[in-house]
Amino acid sequence: MVASQDTVAESHGTLYSRVMARVADELDLSDRAATRAVILFVILGFLGLLAGGVTAGIVMVDNQQRVGWVNHTFEVERHIDRLRLQMERLEAARRGYLLDADPTFRLIFDDAEASLTHEMAQLSALTQDNPAQKANVERLTEQTNQLRVMLGASMIARSLGLNQKALEDFRTDGSVQMARGARTMGGAMLAEENRLLSARMTTQRRTVNIFYGVLTACGVLLLLVATASILLILRYVRALATSRDSLKALNDNLEQAVSVRTRDLRRANDEIQRFAYIVSHDLRSPLVNVLGFTAELERSAETIRAFLERIEKEEPHLLDADVRRAVDADTPEAIGFIRTSTQKMDRLINAILRLSREGRRTITPERLDMARLVRGIADSMRHRMDEIGAQLTVETPMPEIVSDRLAVEQILSNLIENAVKYLKPGRPGRVQVRGRLEAGRAVIEVQDNGRGIDPKDHERVFELFRRAGFQDQPGEGIGLAHVRALAYRLGGGITCVSALDAGATFRLSLPVTYVAEPTA
Amino acid sequence: MNGHQPVNIIMVEDDEGHARLIERNIRRAGISNTVHHLSDGSSALRFLFEHPEGPVKNGPALVLLDLNLPDMSGTEILARIKSDPALRRTPVVVLTTTDDKVEIQRCYDLGCNVYITKPVNYENFADAIRQLGLFLSVIQIPESEGLG
Repeated sequence: MVASQDTVAESHGTLYSRVMARVADELDLSDRAATRAVILFVILGFLGLLAGGVTAGIVMVDNQQRVGWVNHTFEVERHIDRLRLQMERLEAARRGYLLDADPTFRLIFDDAEASLTHEMAQLSALTQDNPAQKANVERLTEQTNQLRVMLGASMIARSLGLNQKALEDFRTDGSVQMARGARTMGGAMLAEENRLLSARMTTQRRTVNIFYGVLTACGVLLLLVATASILLILRYVRALATSRDSLKALNDNLEQAVSVRTRDLRRANDEIQRFAYIVSHDLRSPLVNVLGFTAELERSAETIRAFLERIEKEEPHLLDADVRRAVDADTPEAIGFIRTSTQKMDRLINAILRLSREGRRTITPERLDMARLVRGIADSMRHRMDEIGAQLTVETPMPEIVSDRLAVEQILSNLIENAVKYLKPGRPGRVQVRGRLEAGRAVIEVQDNGRGIDPKDHERVFELFRRAGFQDQPGEGIGLAHVRALAYRLGGGITCVSALDAGATFRLSLPVTYVAEPTA
Repeated sequence: MNGHQPVNIIMVEDDEGHARLIERNIRRAGISNTVHHLSDGSSALRFLFEHPEGPVKNGPALVLLDLNLPDMSGTEILARIKSDPALRRTPVVVLTTTDDKVEIQRCYDLGCNVYITKPVNYENFADAIRQLGLFLSVIQIPESEGLG
């Protein structure tokens, strides 16, 4: 599991974005055009409906006005009728009174006169809007007033007993003609009102027709908008269903592609691990020989040296400087180099073995109290830190995670060991460990104030057998490679933030709960 | 036959160098028993079960077994030895470069008596081989070995 997760994640990413781009292309054109058309059409339709509604409203108000005018005409006609009636009553009362001076006629006359005056005033008020009718009313008023005066005069004459005079008056004063004239006048006014009425009725009918027309237009428009909208929506829904289906198909493809690729990668990774294991294992075999026979050689060299000493004592002339140097200096030096080199090789092979074995170890997730775990590591290093005067602080609270205890311990103890190991000489060492939750992952930082790492080496320090900076500390360049392999194995990652002389911060990010990878 | 019959050492080891180093250290430890060297699995099985000088036909033996053989795994030979009534009690010392815990466990489960990792640190290796001398002195003749 050394490098696979990186690659798997990456390939998931590229594959996903590629498929999404394809889906977007397919959906794009039809989708956007349809949406725009639907919105445009609906807006247009509703604007039309609004206009129709407003028109209908205006026509309605107009119609109401016209109905008002028609009613007005009827009102005027009613008053004219009443006026004429009162006039008849007035004349009848006078006639009766002239014939028989009964006070009842007098009462009727007074009542009719009062009603007449009232009706006159009403009519005058109602006809203010119409100049022609107004003039008619004025003339009528004048005639009526004259008539009233004449009639009144004849009535007074009768009451005084001047019967002859009254009768004379009745015949000669022209009141009868005048009354007739007034009646004709009323008739003319009525005719005028009837003309107005018929005109007003016509316009009213026209407005009603317009109103119905507008309503019909609105109805047709509504029907059109509804039909068009439904058609467009149907089309849109169909397009949506099609894209959803193709999306689903693509998604299925994607998942299949991802799982195939994941399986391939896992297989390749397993192969690499097996390879690393076999190679390192088989490399140890010859190494055993090299070291074994080097020891044998040393033993033989020792025998030769002892023999040489005997010769030196017994036959010194047989020896020269070359033989002495070969036995005393060259052979031990050669053996020494062979030994240190093979030992180093053994360490490297062991490191590869350990990495490959770590990749195959079963992860057993459990709940981990990170603060306690870090304190445990700190305690185990207390002695060394006291020696060099370094201090380690653990910032609490630290998040709890569910992961493999051994792996997390190895990661953190490697990081803390490094922090303590690469301190800046002459600067009191400060190491801080803190943790937090970030977007569903636990982030744990190990920060030191040590010598730091040049940014160009940030990737390099995580590589196997690679180291950075001034080489004054023992080590094979294995620790951080191991840390990264473990972090990947736990589904996490590790990064480094640092600059020369400015300390280093190693940021470990782990899933809060370890999720086992499905086995291919 | 009897308790004084010398113990044969059967070494199954494909690496000539390792075989040579093992034998030298055995000799250096003062063990003079016969060492039969076999360099692959099938000849080892043949020797163990059929050879006139093999342990089935010819007395007690100690098996030094390497796990990485060219034709089969050493564990297969170990299983065969430990499941055979005549060889069941023959001590087997597994010698290998692997220090894999799973494999060590498997060897003990199969009945291996001692497991020795061939250390690259030669002195340890030599020591381990020399201690076989002590081991040889306590080997008993298999009881089923009635006739000899």
